[in-house]
Amino acid sequence: MSLFIRLCQGMLVSLEIFFLTLLFSLPLGMLVALGSMSGKKLIKKPIRIYILIMRGTPLILQLVFVLYAPFYLFGINLNRFTAAIIAFVLNYAAYMSEIYRAGIESIPIGQYEAASVLGFTKFQTFFRIVLPQVVKRILPPVSNEVITLIKDTALVQVVGISELFRVAQNEASRVFSTNPLFIAGIFYFVMNWLVTKVFHSMEERLSYYR
Amino acid sequence: MLKVSNVYKSFDGKEVLKDVTFEIRKGEVVAIIGPSGSGKSTLLRCINLLERIDKGAIVVNGNVMVRTSDSGKAVYENDKTLRKIRLNLGLVFQNFNLFPHFSVLRNITEAPIHVAGMTRSEANKIAFELLEKMGLSDKKDAYPHQLSGGQSQRVAIARALALKPEVLFLDEPTSALDPELTIEVLKVIKKLAAEKMTMAVVTHEMNFAKEVADRIIFMDRGQIIEEGTPKMLFENPLNERTRAFIRGFNN
Repeated sequence: MSLFIRLCQGMLVSLEIFFLTLLFSLPLGMLVALGSMSGKKLIKKPIRIYILIMRGTPLILQLVFVLYAPFYLFGINLNRFTAAIIAFVLNYAAYMSEIYRAGIESIPIGQYEAASVLGFTKFQTFFRIVLPQVVKRILPPVSNEVITLIKDTALVQVVGISELFRVAQNEASRVFSTNPLFIAGIFYFVMNWLVTKVFHSMEERLSYYR
Repeated sequence: MLKVSNVYKSFDGKEVLKDVTFEIRKGEVVAIIGPSGSGKSTLLRCINLLERIDKGAIVVNGNVMVRTSDSGKAVYENDKTLRKIRLNLGLVFQNFNLFPHFSVLRNITEAPIHVAGMTRSEANKIAFELLEKMGLSDKKDAYPHQLSGGQSQRVAIARALALKPEVLFLDEPTSALDPELTIEVLKVIKKLAAEKMTMAVVTHEMNFAKEVADRIIFMDRGQIIEEGTPKMLFENPLNERTRAFIRGFNN
């Protein structure tokens, strides 16, 4: 029973990282997407480079980098948890931005033209006409990312945070059995089953139009 | 009502509009005909600010949208002024461009409420009247994917009319429709013409142009070649190119 409680405690840490990452990376990804489509080179270029680096290097390395680089560069000591969240948010915002960009670019130009002829401002066109249609189109790829995020939370152990998988490993070596690892696997599976359910119901709710 | 003078427009060095000058008077129905690629749609798109002209002037109801500076370049008013002037113009597209995530009613009322600042009940009242006129009262809660092409185009016309534009432009409104659906859309346009709605229609429907238009403009290779009453243009065209084009249709 104490195994179960300890795994649950680990899961809470994993969930905390999961929710905080989503909370910040979903909106940040949109800003990054808009920047990466900007007509201004001064905005577009650096953002493209940021996306390239975030997608081109291992998340596990980014975690280590965000934890130690501020200390070596500026003498600032980041708290482990904060560092993990920053690394995750930066990484996931890059992936999300590409999904947003694909979604935004898939909206036919005619929608913008119709909105413009009806006198909508650019701001209104984006929030009233474009974004709602983008949300519907990107739900499947976003659910992919969210599911991956649940499993990626296991990586934060490299900066010394005891999340679900770390706890399971500790338990496994303590009781000298792989069972805790498999039980942790079931925990991940159940979380992702819930994520899948949530996305499915959102898709269902948006299925009133095509 | 609308004055277009000496408009030039080119895409990547290719001139698509060359010195186009014409006028639309209040209550008039103008049909713009001509072969594909003659610049008809570009002309409508320029008037409706979907494209920017290189040179020339466009004046709506005495309000200048764009004029030519002394250095010979087109100068547009600021965005806010343009948006205000543009509310006098309505445009209906060949492929409708309805908003798929809005019901028919909301497609029509969204701009009156959020652009023109009407209350929801005012906008709804106008929308119901327009739907009735379009013969679509029973479709107000439908979504665009549930409509036929002809119904979609009639909703698009209602959407454009809801802002009470002074001039309605229609860019090949029936080109995406089969003959049966074309008839129902043309019927609606004829109804509007009978109510003295000022309209400019780019069309390939020669019989419709002949029947409904007060004036026909024939365009070819970016220029207005000839304009006149349907009788003049169809029975006694002055220009050789007009003659060839109309002969092609009669065969």
